[in-house]
Amino acid sequence: MLNANLINSLSGLLILSSLLVIETRKLRISAIYYSVQSLVLVVIFLALAVSMHAEQLYLWAASAFITKAILVPYIIYRAQQYTGGEDVPTAIKPTLSIVLAAVSLVVSFVVINQLELKIAAGFKPALAVSVAHFFFGQLCILTQRNLLKQVMGFCLMENGSHLTLALMAYDAPELVEIGIATDAIFGVLIMAVLAVQIYRKLNTLDAASLTTLKG
Amino acid sequence: MYAQSLSWLLLAPFLLSLAAFAMRWAGKRSIWLAELIHLVSITAVLLLSMHVVQGVLAQGSISALNDWLHVDALAAVFVTIVGVVGFLVGVYALGYIRHDLSSGVLQPQQVTLFYGLLNLFLFTMLLVVVSNNIIMMWVAVEATTLGSAFLVGIYGQRASLEAAWKYVIICTVGVAFGLYGTILVYSDAVHFMKEPGMAILWTQIVENAQALDPTILKLAFVFVMIGFGTKAGIFPMHAWLPDAHSEAPSPVSALLSGVLLKCALFVVIRFAIILSRGIGAEFPHLILLIFGALSVTVSTLFMFVQRDLKRLLAYSSVENIGLIVLALGVGGPLGVLAGLMHAVNHSLVKSLMFLTSGNILMKYHTRDLGKIHGMLQAAPLTSLLLLAGGLALAGSPPFNIFISKFSIFSAGMQSGHIWLMLVCLAFLAVAFAALLRVISSSLFGQAPDEMAAGEVQPLTLAPIAVLLVLAITLGLYLPPQIALLLNQAAGIALPPGSVASAPGALLNWLVLP
Amino acid sequence: MSAWILAGILVPFLGGLLVLVIPRWWVKTASQFVALFSAGCSVYVFIAFTAAGKQVQFFDVMRLGNVTLFGLVVDRLSVLIGMAVSVVGFLIVVYSTGYLSAQNREHAEKKIERRYYSFLLLFIGSMAGVVYASTMLGLLVFFELTGVCSWGLIGYYDNEKARRAALKAIITTQVASLGLYAATAYFFAESGSLRLVDMVGLTETAKTVIFIGVLIAGFGKSAQLPFHFWLPDAMVAPTPISAYLHAASMVKVGVYIFARCLSSAGSVPQVIGVVGSVMALLTMLYGFAMYFPQKDFKKLLAYSTITQLAYIFLALSISVFGSQVAFNGGVTHIFNHAFAKSLFFLVAGALSYTTGTRLLPSLRGVIVRMPVIGTSFAVAALAVTGVPPFNCFFSKFSIFAGGFEAAQEHPLLLVLVIIAMVESIGSFAWIFWTFSATGLGTPSEEVAAATPLSPAMEYVLITLAVLTLLSGVFASAWIA
Repeated sequence: MLNANLINSLSGLLILSSLLVIETRKLRISAIYYSVQSLVLVVIFLALAVSMHAEQLYLWAASAFITKAILVPYIIYRAQQYTGGEDVPTAIKPTLSIVLAAVSLVVSFVVINQLELKIAAGFKPALAVSVAHFFFGQLCILTQRNLLKQVMGFCLMENGSHLTLALMAYDAPELVEIGIATDAIFGVLIMAVLAVQIYRKLNTLDAASLTTLKG
Repeated sequence: MYAQSLSWLLLAPFLLSLAAFAMRWAGKRSIWLAELIHLVSITAVLLLSMHVVQGVLAQGSISALNDWLHVDALAAVFVTIVGVVGFLVGVYALGYIRHDLSSGVLQPQQVTLFYGLLNLFLFTMLLVVVSNNIIMMWVAVEATTLGSAFLVGIYGQRASLEAAWKYVIICTVGVAFGLYGTILVYSDAVHFMKEPGMAILWTQIVENAQALDPTILKLAFVFVMIGFGTKAGIFPMHAWLPDAHSEAPSPVSALLSGVLLKCALFVVIRFAIILSRGIGAEFPHLILLIFGALSVTVSTLFMFVQRDLKRLLAYSSVENIGLIVLALGVGGPLGVLAGLMHAVNHSLVKSLMFLTSGNILMKYHTRDLGKIHGMLQAAPLTSLLLLAGGLALAGSPPFNIFISKFSIFSAGMQSGHIWLMLVCLAFLAVAFAALLRVISSSLFGQAPDEMAAGEVQPLTLAPIAVLLVLAITLGLYLPPQIALLLNQAAGIALPPGSVASAPGALLNWLVLP
Repeated sequence: MSAWILAGILVPFLGGLLVLVIPRWWVKTASQFVALFSAGCSVYVFIAFTAAGKQVQFFDVMRLGNVTLFGLVVDRLSVLIGMAVSVVGFLIVVYSTGYLSAQNREHAEKKIERRYYSFLLLFIGSMAGVVYASTMLGLLVFFELTGVCSWGLIGYYDNEKARRAALKAIITTQVASLGLYAATAYFFAESGSLRLVDMVGLTETAKTVIFIGVLIAGFGKSAQLPFHFWLPDAMVAPTPISAYLHAASMVKVGVYIFARCLSSAGSVPQVIGVVGSVMALLTMLYGFAMYFPQKDFKKLLAYSTITQLAYIFLALSISVFGSQVAFNGGVTHIFNHAFAKSLFFLVAGALSYTTGTRLLPSLRGVIVRMPVIGTSFAVAALAVTGVPPFNCFFSKFSIFAGGFEAAQEHPLLLVLVIIAMVESIGSFAWIFWTFSATGLGTPSEEVAAATPLSPAMEYVLITLAVLTLLSGVFASAWIA
């Protein structure tokens, strides 16, 4: 049971790190926080692998380490180099976004507690965190006007769903995990490239300037 | 033999798309080679998909790769859509892209990128409809977004980049909900399966659907509806659709609207089947009816106020997807059959219309309906296609959409949703008016003075004409093979026991005196 | 026989596509042959049907499982009306070849437009389809097809006003056609069949729902209140088109589907009769009131059409109360009015062709200057207002006779019939006054300067005038 406690508390760390990712103004720092968060995720995967005797999760941990802790932050870092680290205001105040994050956390906990899950029964807090994390990612996309920040939001979502997947579908065939990871990394890459293209065309990363299309 | 065809159906476009990407470095002949590879690829997809469908007709279903790929009659309907529409749009793209190249809108290296992406996009859509593995299905849907994002933004203009961005963001966020739905079903199914690997297969889940937890199933379906519904362009998750459809090159719009939306809808149907086997059809039907009716009503109003040809067509796609969803929500043999028929019919007609809009764009260099006039003089053949396609889309006889729309409303009345059907019908009149206004203002009036009469790229008219012939044919006559396929597909989508009885003897469709 | 009927429907469709591709100088001849063929088919069917003792026959054409999607019905109704629409259709095509030419002083045509003949032939085919259809779906399909073709024809003179009028016509009739659409879907849902004769077995409620739908569609297509407004605007169409669409065929689709459903449904809920006759009466009065401000000849004719169609609706509605005489009167009025009003429109067309105007105040002394047009004018005016021995007299007479018959059991009907009679006398007075103002007297400046009429148009006027004189007796004797 020690392991379950460890996993649940580690997932608490995820919350903290994702708030840092969202609220940090500087993209470079934000990418580093994200990398740290992904390391926490890797540790959770390892702990899960031990506690549930699921060998596949070692592989998951390895692939998560490569893609999430190294590749994604690198892509974001390069993209922000291309775009000169422009400072874009956010759509809402940080305090408000923290409040919203808290609300989504509470809702996730309530909903997960209602569910009767046969799998991952001991990891309900971690599961709730993973779901909340998914919503944090969306919150980030909705509240941040910086396009690259929105990409980070996508990454947060991806981390959340990845954790859910590890808790609930760890025994799925490996190919599935590879598919999801490939999608994730290509997703980040494509968004980053698009963001850079938009920056070159519009000379800004501000989503508020994307107003040509309406109705 | 059929299983091999199925594997090749995926491998061919994938490998050839990589080859097309590689043509970037082929020097002077790169465009010519990319075109050749593209043509080989779409032809292969057409032939292989026909072979696979033939196999389904012959032996019921085809599986490959440890059951990870599975094509039953339901999937075969969508494989047909991808194969046929993919091929015709692909042929059209040759002429369209050449025009873009010669007018300097696209650079040579973008052309190789275009053909690579287009075939990759075809591959991902095929993967969606032939996957039996539900998580792989999700992966494939996500991959369709990634594959087509650059296609949407390929012109690199301010508006097209913006559309591509919205497309990627909204769809990835939306489709992520779909992943949650998928995981919920999987994690519940994994409990009573002998092997975890089986809980991921749709065929296995459906067989054991009654053992699944009702609450989790309902929750999962809501997630699925939001997730894949985003991709299918169902209101209110449709926000990306008009932007992406209008800004993409016309062949891409045709694929997005004609094929991609149906593929996403296919996933929704797959999950609806799990639910109706597990907990009965009431819940999924209710959800489908609500989303369907909302899509139909709201989108027609949007259609009416559009001044941009392609945006109008995009909203019409929302409307038609709404109709299909409505039909599935109505249920019953006739409802499901009508829904599937409408999916096929709309694919043909909407790709026809987007391709025609491409020709109008080549001629007039604008999508602004306030500036497109006098097509009868300026481009008589295109205007004929616009007239026929627009009437077909508006649901006028003798075109195919008339039949399927009528069947949908009959099914709705049969199942007792009389008022809902009447309301939706009234909104369809709005759509009719909107389309007719487009035809009227574009065909008639005075063409711009400096414009010479004649078609741009006359060869591009051939695939559109083929689509038109198909649309008329299906409006008058249902070939026995297609009837059988639709019938079997409806049988899969319906609860066991309620065999599609109404169209049981579809085969004697035409009895001349 | 069914092969001839199908040929009468399909050949115009093929012809309509054919004229888009054949050499331009061939278009007029080919169109006339196609229309002649279609008319010949319907006349053949008429003769064969009469010879076979007027036995009702059904033919299934398209089936889906055990559901008949489309079939043909041969009975007194379809044979009679089928002949009227296709014969008038042929005459209109002939007239058009003269009218749409460089000699036309109102709208000179520089080149032969394929579009015009294509839509016209498609329309003739669709019209035959409506008439012979034995299923609800068949009615619906051809109903909508006539709508689409009418859009192409009304908007033929490619200007802003014509485009608007065409859009207005099709959108109004399309909205109304939702009634038929819903009725068809509901009928299928209720009975599992699409054949009209299966309506007999339905409940009163179901029949009421279906008939309400059919009436809405009928009001739309036949330009009755509250959908009447498209017809006067549609007068921007070339005059032969107005003659065909707005006198003989398109506007008759509405009353025809009502008649067809009535004859198939067995007993009909009386509420349908009440709704139908009240709306008919309102329309009649409205149309009559609108006669007076009209200066444009064609607009006057449009309002006259509206009231005449209201008569037919009234007759058919009265038949709900059990009067076969009224039903026959309504049906023969569809037939007779087709000839008389087409003639009237063609006279208007001939006047604008020769004088370049159709404004009533500038036309005077037509009969002196142009005897053929003037005589046709007189025939048309007398026929439309129901003066014996012209055709509309006979059908109007049956309508009133039927009305009095039904009024013996439903006294309130008497009021309706009397109001209708008063209207009839009033419109006679007005139209006759119009005729004497334009037809008689010394020729006005415009009339005096008139150019000669083309031979094709002249023949058509004479033929139609003769038919107008004879059709009344003929139809009344035949249908009874």
